[in-house]
Amino acid sequence: MKGRHEDENLKWIPFLILLVFILPFILRGVTFSYRYYLFILNIAGIYIILTVGLDLLSGFTGLISLGHAAFLAIGAYTSAILVDQAGVPFGVSMLITPLITGLFGIVIGFPALRISGMYLALTTMGFGFIVRRLIIALRQWTEGASGLEVSAPQLFGFAFRNDWHNYFLIYFFVIVSVVLARRIVKSKLGRAFMAIRDSEQAAQAAGISLSRYKLVSFFISAVFAGFAGVLFAHTSKLITTDHFDLLLSIKFLIFALVGGIGSIYGVVLGTLTIVLLEYLFIPIFKDWLLTMLPIEAGDIQALIFGLIMFLFIIFQPTGLYGMWLKMRIYWKLFPFNPKKRFT
Amino acid sequence: MKLKTGLVTLLAVGLFLGCARREPTPGVTDTEILIGNIQDLSGPMKELGLILPHGSNLYFNYINEKGGVHGRKIRMLVEDHQYNPQKTVAAAKKLIEQDRIFCFYQVIGTSPCEALRPTLEEYEIPLVAPATQSGTMSDRSRKAWKYIFHTDTGYDKQANILVDYALEENPDAKIGVIYQDDDYGANVLKGIAEAEERHGIVIQKEGYQRGATDFAGQVMNLLKGSATHVIIGGVVKEPIITMKTAAAMNYSPQFLGISPTMDHRVALAAGPAGEGFIAANFAALWNSDVEGAKLYRELFDKSGTDPKLRGMYDFYGFITAVVLVEGLERAGKRLTRERLIEGLESIKDWDAMGVFPPFSYGRNDRSAAESVFLVQVQEGKQAPITDWIE
Repeated sequence: MKGRHEDENLKWIPFLILLVFILPFILRGVTFSYRYYLFILNIAGIYIILTVGLDLLSGFTGLISLGHAAFLAIGAYTSAILVDQAGVPFGVSMLITPLITGLFGIVIGFPALRISGMYLALTTMGFGFIVRRLIIALRQWTEGASGLEVSAPQLFGFAFRNDWHNYFLIYFFVIVSVVLARRIVKSKLGRAFMAIRDSEQAAQAAGISLSRYKLVSFFISAVFAGFAGVLFAHTSKLITTDHFDLLLSIKFLIFALVGGIGSIYGVVLGTLTIVLLEYLFIPIFKDWLLTMLPIEAGDIQALIFGLIMFLFIIFQPTGLYGMWLKMRIYWKLFPFNPKKRFT
Repeated sequence: MKLKTGLVTLLAVGLFLGCARREPTPGVTDTEILIGNIQDLSGPMKELGLILPHGSNLYFNYINEKGGVHGRKIRMLVEDHQYNPQKTVAAAKKLIEQDRIFCFYQVIGTSPCEALRPTLEEYEIPLVAPATQSGTMSDRSRKAWKYIFHTDTGYDKQANILVDYALEENPDAKIGVIYQDDDYGANVLKGIAEAEERHGIVIQKEGYQRGATDFAGQVMNLLKGSATHVIIGGVVKEPIITMKTAAAMNYSPQFLGISPTMDHRVALAAGPAGEGFIAANFAALWNSDVEGAKLYRELFDKSGTDPKLRGMYDFYGFITAVVLVEGLERAGKRLTRERLIEGLESIKDWDAMGVFPPFSYGRNDRSAAESVFLVQVQEGKQAPITDWIE
């Protein structure tokens, strides 16, 4: 089994996991506003679960999706309805809801068997609009556009009432998701996905059933998104259709692109970076930035984001993770680097 | 021994930190009250994001110059939420945890305000005068209702009033409505449904997506349905485009607008197509003769800001500031969040310098105004055509 992990340095993983669970205590120790930071980290955590799933679909199978906010919405609303209106326990909903979302994934996966690229992006985008309309139309259960109140998560008699509790709940599942996604990528399934991404004809010639694996990829991706939706609904405690707009779907792709699409650790890094930038650093340093730049307050974020996207796509298409890998190799070989290779 | 000393030191430090963390009321010092406002500075409603806080600050500065409320000056922080509910919550937590504000004031948008409910409840922090007329804001069946003090007449009530008005004007009127397909529209439709039931009529409903700039389809459908009165549930650009589109089609029903359309720029920008447009107003006009409007114009001229900002929305920021200050005054010198709630609850039949219809809050009442008056565009100018009607 050893040969499987040759490419990665596993000894850091336990430390990383430990750090994840110690972090809130450190934050509480050093700052009074730790609950604000935890809230931001919780958002990032939920999005990580989703983008990891999106990466399996877009990064590994090569199928682009602009409908992932809709999967998140389906997960969120399904769980809210199951728990609060049908009386299903939260723990059970956590198992059922992702599967239901996965079924929607298969439904939207069918058109993907025939179309690809831009057309698939448009189809999934249309799916997003349909889901939004559907949520508004199913007023009876979803309260339409005015927002649905959701109960707090409850597991084994313990209620997760605030951001502190939610952090541990969310990050436990973040770790589970990342490990699971890594296992999928390293398995036969993952290899089939990558084969399809690299060349559909070659994959087919090698005996891989395109339709089956594409549907499985959509299913798995939607399951991750549905799971993220469950956590989203019950930790936000109030969901509206405005939470799940098209912009969010685009953002998920940006997370993946900036982090390094096609690498699990990469999208984790990308999601963390962008969410922290968007929710924490820009709001905090806004006033300081405004003194330096002659623009309106509202334009700062658009400016910074635009710049990041632009620079990454031109100079660093492999994302943050690609940057990290290059740096690692550079230092490993130091000082015997072949010139001009690492620029 | 060393261990003991260490433990004692740790305990002392812990106690010190523990004590330091507990301050009497966040955001209130002997000289200042810090309040938090969350606006849309870069999203779909960013044209309002700058105007509303400007109007509020006009009044706050006026009060501060007079010595403040019980000796405390009011300072307002403004955050950006881009009309995104999740960002609203993030901004709210920043304001509460990092800036340590006393209360929220004037968060714009229905879904952002709705998304704030769990946070309001968790921190037991009031939100005064949310910048939305959605009737859901004062709905007591929803979470955290206790902390939200709504000032304006709800969209649902306004829709009811407009339908009544149209039928009074012409008992055979065929009414149509153009609504935004979101929480705002949902509240308008709620009122429309009530009116349909009361009058036993059917109202033609045409929806549009928020941010839409083309209304030809909706106007065409209304023309086909031969609606004589069209209620527009839009903001600023929607009524303008709708009326211009209708004019281009030679279709001229009586247009009526829900309160967000009441800005005088609607009349200006629509030109001849906007002639005769009637809008529901939940507060007196900024250029009227009531005391509050006079004070507003005086302060605005003194501030030396670009006159383009002057108008209904700037005035709206101004008058809600009057409500907040009244609440703070009534809360007394020993200001806490609980006392602010009690102070606001004690408001009875008060008209905020003639600006609002006489309004009241109460222990179980969070909606202040129940009525509107109608304003018609006549020769490019807004003229009131009714008194307060319920």
